[in-house]
Amino acid sequence: MGRDNIIVGLEIGTSKICVVVGESKPDGSVKILGVGQAPSRGVRKGEIVDFDTAGKCVREAIADAEEKSDVMIESVYVGITGSHISSFNNRGVVQLPEDQDEIGEEDCENVRTNAKEVSIPSQNFFLHTILQHYYVDGQDGVLNPVGMMGGKLEADFHVIHGIGNRVKNAIRCIREIPLEVEDVVFNPLAAAQVVLTANQKNQGALMIDIGGGTTDFILYVDGAVKQSGVLAVGGDHITNDISMGLRIPMAKAEKLKVEEGSVILGNCLPGETVSLKDESGFAGKEIERETLNTIIHMRMRESLELLKRELDREAFIDFIGAGIFITGGCSLLKGIDHLAGEIFGMPVHVAHAQSMSGLTSAVENPQLATAIGLIKYAQAVETDRPAGWFGKFKRKLPMFFGGQR
Amino acid sequence: MIELNRNYNLGQTDREPVKIKIVGIGGAGSNALDRIVLDGIESAEIVAINTDVQSLTSSVATQKVQLGRSATRGLGAGGDPEVGLAAAEEAVDEIRQVLEGAEMVFICVGLGGGTGSGSAPMIANIAKEHGALTIVIATMPFAFEGRRRGQQADDALAALQEAADAVICFENDKMGDAVAPHAGVHQAFAAADQTISQSVRAIFDLFTRQGIISIGFDDLVTALRNNNARCLFGYGEADGDNRSHESLERALKNPLMNRGRMLAETHNLLVNVVGGTSMTLNEVQILMEELGRHVSDSTRILFGTAVDPRLAGRMCVTLVSSVAADDAATGKEPVKLNYIAPPRTHTELKAQPAPVEKTSKPKRKVEAGDQKPLLASQDEEEKPAAEVELPVVRPKPAPIKPLGVKPPAPEPPAPAAPPVAKVPQERQESLAFEPLNRGRFEKSEPTIVNGQDLDVPTFMRRNIKIK
Repeated sequence: MGRDNIIVGLEIGTSKICVVVGESKPDGSVKILGVGQAPSRGVRKGEIVDFDTAGKCVREAIADAEEKSDVMIESVYVGITGSHISSFNNRGVVQLPEDQDEIGEEDCENVRTNAKEVSIPSQNFFLHTILQHYYVDGQDGVLNPVGMMGGKLEADFHVIHGIGNRVKNAIRCIREIPLEVEDVVFNPLAAAQVVLTANQKNQGALMIDIGGGTTDFILYVDGAVKQSGVLAVGGDHITNDISMGLRIPMAKAEKLKVEEGSVILGNCLPGETVSLKDESGFAGKEIERETLNTIIHMRMRESLELLKRELDREAFIDFIGAGIFITGGCSLLKGIDHLAGEIFGMPVHVAHAQSMSGLTSAVENPQLATAIGLIKYAQAVETDRPAGWFGKFKRKLPMFFGGQR
Repeated sequence: MIELNRNYNLGQTDREPVKIKIVGIGGAGSNALDRIVLDGIESAEIVAINTDVQSLTSSVATQKVQLGRSATRGLGAGGDPEVGLAAAEEAVDEIRQVLEGAEMVFICVGLGGGTGSGSAPMIANIAKEHGALTIVIATMPFAFEGRRRGQQADDALAALQEAADAVICFENDKMGDAVAPHAGVHQAFAAADQTISQSVRAIFDLFTRQGIISIGFDDLVTALRNNNARCLFGYGEADGDNRSHESLERALKNPLMNRGRMLAETHNLLVNVVGGTSMTLNEVQILMEELGRHVSDSTRILFGTAVDPRLAGRMCVTLVSSVAADDAATGKEPVKLNYIAPPRTHTELKAQPAPVEKTSKPKRKVEAGDQKPLLASQDEEEKPAAEVELPVVRPKPAPIKPLGVKPPAPEPPAPAAPPVAKVPQERQESLAFEPLNRGRFEKSEPTIVNGQDLDVPTFMRRNIKIK
């Protein structure tokens, strides 16, 4: 099989590292060849804090993926997240020269550059500049202005930026494996490629990816990204809360959360308990189910409310037609769709990657949505098709490839 | 960077020290006293007042008053406040005598029992009669001690709030959380005593240290004033290169501070920064900026700073504030604002570190332009400098200021008196004691949103009981 078609997505998550090997088909679909996973250590809130340990875990996951897919992995697309990443919307304007009245490719590039000319903190760099819409001489909703006649080209962009050094750290860690890093992609942007369909993006949709260390979100209206961001609270926090609240070790708290946890309150019998088995299999501690659920409920409710407050800063959430899609490991929590539905007041779906072939079990696991999304994102970038909002979005990473070694 | 040089500090030696008495009433009170003495407190007289002779003899206090020589005959009050009151009435002359001449009285008392609950309000009244500023530090009994005791404590607390200028209240129930679950009973009580000792010392230092920007009693009352309030108190000390950050960190780590998360809700926050002669303005600014991240924009910061050469390279931060236990407080807001109008002008002047410069500039002018010869002899220079400084900082001297001088002593309570009338309705509830554990996120970068540390479990931050 041709090397060219192999795309590998790597997500260094807080709870686990996922490597998905996919094959890009000429018809635009993606076939999943294998999935490698390894428990993650040395990562907190989506960012690497212990270089060596995290490096080992990545190596483990890569080896696992190579074995399962029977592919030598040489380069990867990396998903990144972290509380340092933020975003805003900005409009770029380009006035065409007097002697030119047809809009060309370079004008589109110029308008993008122009949109980036805003002050972001000096240590930050631009991760993504995502096109929303063009305006030609004030005419609204132009999707592709190349070849159009006009004097003034404007465009709205969604700009995502983060602290350069933190992103470089993730890249450095992968390079030491050694693997080539093709590109870095903001996690929810990748996940949205597979969790949301083009139709849903056009109708307007909010995707919330509740992972181990962070909760990432991205909001689409009219097929364009309008809002995105990170809240550095995730499933780890729930586990930590349980561990502290019930005074049990983290590992047991994690197990309890996954097996017994629910965010719905008042749904269990009074005095109903869960018995926590110790290593020898004997019943250890009795834990009241309502207490466990209260801890989880409080945390999830708070996180979602914080998210809602963040989203309410701009009015885009009112234009969501398709509803809210929750993915990531925490979307497996029982009742989370009901809780989110109550808080946001609109339909909520628990979603996983769609429109893929191959290992369907992998596709249906919401924990893998980001890694699979990376492949889809990469496919869209690599094929460089004019259709789609990121059609011309081929980007190199001169900042990272140059000067580091 | 402006180095705060030691010249600012010299007015201190010339001032007559404020006469302070620390009074411990009942068993719990004398335990707290012992702790305060052990921690070392200067220039304050320690007075133990109790019905129980045995406890009284073992106390380290310099002055002792036995209550109810005939009513209880040297035994305790038996948990009956009426007996406690009767015993106190019997010894009223002795109490008057021992409080004679005090300008500031701290009363440490454990409420719920006989002696403390019965006699404390009366003793607070006597202290007020002498024209002393009276601050009560009370502990409330454990819930398991029974409703009756709880009721007695509540009644006594209400009475104390009528009588005293300020009441800081600790709840024993919450103290349990401040120590590790496995800690012994003595450790839990020791932690409680230590917290009381720390708060007495901090407030004591607040008033006795001559500040570059001083904090007055009015500021303290403002900080503690809140409807149905929960009192926040934090004290931190650190040295080394990173002392401004570390001292604040420690102050926020204080069990009463909830790691600063409650600060976002406070209306008034009193901050006093004290350092050795090497403390720089820059360090104070860093500290205040960092603190600023924990409070909301509308919080009024009552800022004070002082230089104390005894601290050498260390830096101390004291935070005092209160948080409304319910939202009802907002209704009362306008009244409060009008109410504190007089002190406000000068608190606002002190609101930010910037005034440090303001005060220092006029002072320099005087030094340089006016009296050149003064520069020659340092000792002489300081005195006028300090005096010139005062009128610049505040249009009106803070009520606490005249305390050092005897004649106007009866006057200061006058500006302070209106706050007193207000305090009783605004119940000081308790200082929340909570473990400030962040579990596995202990060492990672905190996620602070709206002043709340999201790494601390939500149920803990919202005070939801988990079995």
